[in-house]
Amino acid sequence: MKGLFGIGSRGNGASSAPSPAALPVKKDPQLPQITPLEKRLQDMGSIRGDGSDKFFGMENYGNTCYCNSILQCLYYSVPFREAVINYPQRTPLESLEATLAQNLRFPNPNAHLEVEAQAAKQKAQAATSPSARQAGVPTNQPQKPEDKDSPEYKKKVALQTLPILETKNNANSYGMSESLFTSLKDIFESLVGSQSRIGVIRPQQFLDVLRREHEMFRTAMHQDAHEFLNLLLNEVVSNVEAEATKQSFTEKSLPPTESVDSLSGTVTPSSGSKSPNTTRWVHELFEGTLTSETKCLTCEKVSQRDEVFLDLSVDLEQHSSVTSCLRKFSAEEMLCERNKFHCDNCGGLQEAEKRMKIKRLPRVLALHLKRFKYTEDLQRLQKLFHRVVYPYHLRLFNTTDDAEDPDRLYELYAVVVHIGGGPYHGHYVAIIKTEDRGWLLFDDELVEPVDKNYVRNFFGDRPGLACAYVLFYQETTLEAVLREQAQEDQASSTAPAENGEAGKINGYPLSPGLSHIHSASQVPSDDTNHMNGIQRVPTAPQMSTHHEAPELFSSPQPIQSPQPPLPPIPDEQPPSLSPKKSDVQSRKERAKEEKERKALEKEREKAEKERERTEKQRRREADLQQARQLMNERREAEDIRRAIEASKADTAKNDGSELGPENGSPRKLSFLRRGSRSLSQRLSKDKEPRVSTSDLPPVPTPVPEAPHQEGLEPPKPPVPPKDNPSLSNPKMASRNSPPAAKDNKSEKAGRWRSLSLKKS
Amino acid sequence: MFVLPPPPPRYTIPVAYQAGAANGMAVPVIETNNTITHPEAGCPLQVGEGTYTLKDDLLLATPPPHPSEAPIVNPNPLATVPSPPTSGVKLSLVSLDPRKKPPTFLKTAVVAPQFGDGNPALAPPAPPAKEKDALKRRKPKNNIIKSSSSFVSRVITHETSAKRLSDRDQNGVFAFANINRAFQWLDLNSAQKEDHLTKVLFTKAHMLCHDINELTKTVSHLDIVMGSSAGDIIWYEPMSQKYARINKNGVINNSPVTHIKWLPGSENLFLASHANGVLVVYDKEKEDALFTPEAAAHPEKDTSKLPLETLKSVNSKNQKSNPIALWKLANQKISQFSFSPDQRHLAVVLEDGSLRLMDYLKEEVLDIFRSYYGGLICVCWSPDGKYIVTGGQDDLLTIWSFPERKIVARCQGHNSWVSAVAFDPWRCDQKTYRFGSVGDDCRLLLWDFSVGMLHRPRAHHQNTARHRSSIVVPGSQSALRNRADSGGLRLRSDSDRTEKFDGALDAVENHPVEPRSRTALLPPIMSKVVGEDPICWLGFQNDCIMTSSLEGHIRTWDRPSDSVVHHDHRL
Repeated sequence: MKGLFGIGSRGNGASSAPSPAALPVKKDPQLPQITPLEKRLQDMGSIRGDGSDKFFGMENYGNTCYCNSILQCLYYSVPFREAVINYPQRTPLESLEATLAQNLRFPNPNAHLEVEAQAAKQKAQAATSPSARQAGVPTNQPQKPEDKDSPEYKKKVALQTLPILETKNNANSYGMSESLFTSLKDIFESLVGSQSRIGVIRPQQFLDVLRREHEMFRTAMHQDAHEFLNLLLNEVVSNVEAEATKQSFTEKSLPPTESVDSLSGTVTPSSGSKSPNTTRWVHELFEGTLTSETKCLTCEKVSQRDEVFLDLSVDLEQHSSVTSCLRKFSAEEMLCERNKFHCDNCGGLQEAEKRMKIKRLPRVLALHLKRFKYTEDLQRLQKLFHRVVYPYHLRLFNTTDDAEDPDRLYELYAVVVHIGGGPYHGHYVAIIKTEDRGWLLFDDELVEPVDKNYVRNFFGDRPGLACAYVLFYQETTLEAVLREQAQEDQASSTAPAENGEAGKINGYPLSPGLSHIHSASQVPSDDTNHMNGIQRVPTAPQMSTHHEAPELFSSPQPIQSPQPPLPPIPDEQPPSLSPKKSDVQSRKERAKEEKERKALEKEREKAEKERERTEKQRRREADLQQARQLMNERREAEDIRRAIEASKADTAKNDGSELGPENGSPRKLSFLRRGSRSLSQRLSKDKEPRVSTSDLPPVPTPVPEAPHQEGLEPPKPPVPPKDNPSLSNPKMASRNSPPAAKDNKSEKAGRWRSLSLKKS
Repeated sequence: MFVLPPPPPRYTIPVAYQAGAANGMAVPVIETNNTITHPEAGCPLQVGEGTYTLKDDLLLATPPPHPSEAPIVNPNPLATVPSPPTSGVKLSLVSLDPRKKPPTFLKTAVVAPQFGDGNPALAPPAPPAKEKDALKRRKPKNNIIKSSSSFVSRVITHETSAKRLSDRDQNGVFAFANINRAFQWLDLNSAQKEDHLTKVLFTKAHMLCHDINELTKTVSHLDIVMGSSAGDIIWYEPMSQKYARINKNGVINNSPVTHIKWLPGSENLFLASHANGVLVVYDKEKEDALFTPEAAAHPEKDTSKLPLETLKSVNSKNQKSNPIALWKLANQKISQFSFSPDQRHLAVVLEDGSLRLMDYLKEEVLDIFRSYYGGLICVCWSPDGKYIVTGGQDDLLTIWSFPERKIVARCQGHNSWVSAVAFDPWRCDQKTYRFGSVGDDCRLLLWDFSVGMLHRPRAHHQNTARHRSSIVVPGSQSALRNRADSGGLRLRSDSDRTEKFDGALDAVENHPVEPRSRTALLPPIMSKVVGEDPICWLGFQNDCIMTSSLEGHIRTWDRPSDSVVHHDHRL
């Protein structure tokens, strides 16, 4: 098993090996160059136990970048990661490694055998002797005249050459039933336990659980990263609380089993130090309190109401700053006319003044910039390309007078960027400040080091439609900031050479076309094509992973949704949409787009048929264990057909488990009932109104319908007029805001909302 | 020979270029002319003394990209290629009219010694200038029009510029403005003020900052220095169209020049701040030499711990070539600096959020203050030298008292980062002060403060105000301050450097960030959106307020009648 790890960390050889070993490799054009990330990770020493030295990309299964970017942000939130790993208990590293031995695998071994037998041999050696491994075993480098600087190409290479980390359900070992939390923990633990520092993790199991429990994520459509973040945090809260209730119940009523014993033994010391209440660590981190003071203008009585929030949604203005957006939210607001306030004192609807201030500051401040605004003229959501600047550090002005530590200093540590012209498609990436390796760009499978200044490219005013969408600030101290600045000073003064080289590495011209920008609006079958397009030696594991994804996403749909689901997507997809993420695109001339697209459509039809077959097979398939076995077999398989079947089996397994709780909705209900804490309460309240009244008026919670229509045909035509003018003319964007503001006001009357900072 | 036609619009969105044009504005492909508009609705600024009315809005033409500029078509918004630094339009104004000189508030004439006075190596060589040359200033060597330099792309002289120059009012105001890769010379008193006199186009580098030497200006001579994104500095004399290139190819420091100013009272020396946290004093007359840090006088000390690392002292014996002095403050970008009116001190603001007060004559840092949060962007001194105002990424302007060495107030009113701040000396006296600020929120704000007002503590925090109180506080802070002050006054010969060095660390006072509850908050007296793009420069003249924006809008507001005249008399 150790040998497997050796293989696994092979791609990472350079990072653990001192640079001299890597240098000779560089000179050989056939051999891979050290990637920028590997370069950034040099001299890291031995693998740490806390997971802070793991830099994994995440596989995109088609429009799952919303999930990838948020998961990455959460992973690099140190206290959050610690809490997830420590709750309910920390899995010993040894047992983690044992599990990982099965999960971490060297990708594409067969490609190696066929393409580069020699390399494979070396690899085998590497597995046994670490020194050989460090001597720079060549990474698999496809010899295609592709644009090697395109993100698509890099992602493909990452998938092919880096260790692939599968996650498996370990919920039982946590003494919990499988939930979003346990699968999140699975991912985090896999990363922590990995012997390789870099690689690609497959969050498939996590997505399975997500899709099983939440209907809206079941489509392969583009999802809102902020909504996902909010849902995830709430889910984690309720999962943990529900489990804790259950545990304490079983503890009382039943003779403690071994697992419960170990649980109760570890819970208190491990997480107890971090928070007084063991189940409240999400609250401790992300939760803050807002106070809304309403002063009735008739009787002058001031009523206060506290509300908790896990993140703040702020309205945007053209040419503003995050500071200003936060202050605007706390500005006084008149409740009058249709918006009158019901005063308990005078008993009736009265005019009133309202202010919202922050009473308790969260340790991690997640700021959602509301870039998607409903515009009445267009009857749809529109993306605002306002220039909104965000500093590296922040303090909150809008605190109440009695707030504790009102001058708390925050530092920006993660930015989720949305790239694209509208809310129904696009791509998400995350730019994250790691603990000791600077800022990194996480673009699905791709992880690249970036300059600190890079973080400022997403104010919203630059070409390319990329804007910061969610900002994560964490508490810090001035001392820490000063220390860091001093380190920055030293780092840059000691490594001028590195800077130069970094410039070279970064100085690549990018691929033609916005190829991967619109990846998110991709239809699943695109992936099928993507797979074929890669034209690499067909090998089972790789193929199956690609194959499985689209089917997985689409198959639940035909079953559950009576609406005409996927088929229309490809058909109505306008030609302009075709660039996508397709690797095909990056390889071929743009002129060939048309052909490509046709091929793509055929591919899609094929996928359709395949899907039908899958369904049939799924019914036959019952045994989960068998499915798992098949998965294992598949791993070794060299035959495509077999791989496909295996993937079908896999799908079947997932669907099988999904059908159990009947379409998720009862499940969801029960989850809501279970959630006893204020947050879940907020979630339940929030859930409907959030989606239906404010940001996403036309998109009711059961997403499939609206986004289907929106996401397919209608959003396309408006996109060009929407983006282009706003690109060339910043005024355009500001014109959008008045109707949006109106929308806010009207929405305000209806409901109470703790999460979103609404201001006109 | 034939003339090549302008290059076809090959690049739709050249990123490097676009960054200059910024804000997604259309990229021109042919050379266009400046335009001027007189907005009818105007954009009146209403304040106590009356209404400032918008006279005109001059839009500088953004030049097309240089044909040789690499056609970087990089549609990937995630491209990690760093885009070249650029800046919005900034102006340097100059006039020979004594009436246009801002009033001075200094009780005594400036008696500060010249920078490098004690160094015989810097003593001007026996003045070769004969009597008849007294008024004839030394010009740079190269003709910019005939230049074959790859740095200068071309120079476009307006066809009527010679005539306009000879006809003009000698006391009129010249303006020099950078926009993208162009540098324009405008006559603001001309009837066709939108037509440039000369436009210099550089090949790739953008000029980021520039300054005119107030000491050497004559009817026939202007010394302009400008710092570029490539690190190169141009000394330019527009009347004769001569120029010289300093720090050529970044031989001394290859980091972009973020700010540049002539040393007050010096004909030849100027100070430039570079983006890598280095301050360099150059001599316009001296040649470049490859710079190697001079051995620290005290190698046993870890100089990098000091707030200021003197890599070359003004007292160095080797003063044959540039630089004259070179100090490393940090590895953070220096955003701006400003000389005190008494010409002894320097206030420097950095991207790391620090305001550093220096005695630049002695090459030492006296105090370090911090922004509330985020980087600091701009800084200026009150005309009497008592106050310093900074603006930054916390959307705040912060007033610091120089003699007291402490924060006096934070000014809240901008909706985005503050890009420039300036005092209006025509509206200042010893008791009340007027300053203005502009920012990325496209706003122009005016602020008034008076000595009494600033020291009014916030009502509900009176009890908790331990540190903050009246001006006469014999607390720890003022004790330290006195020490710092006396340190500044202590007369030390240069041989005394050991002692100074030892004391350097303790002498610097690192001021903590004052909490909001203990700091006065000042509202603006006027706040107005004046454009549709971020404003990046602000200037006060005796008869007007001027701003310039990222995309090239230069706006001028006439002062309300009588608002200044009365003041002028008194002074």
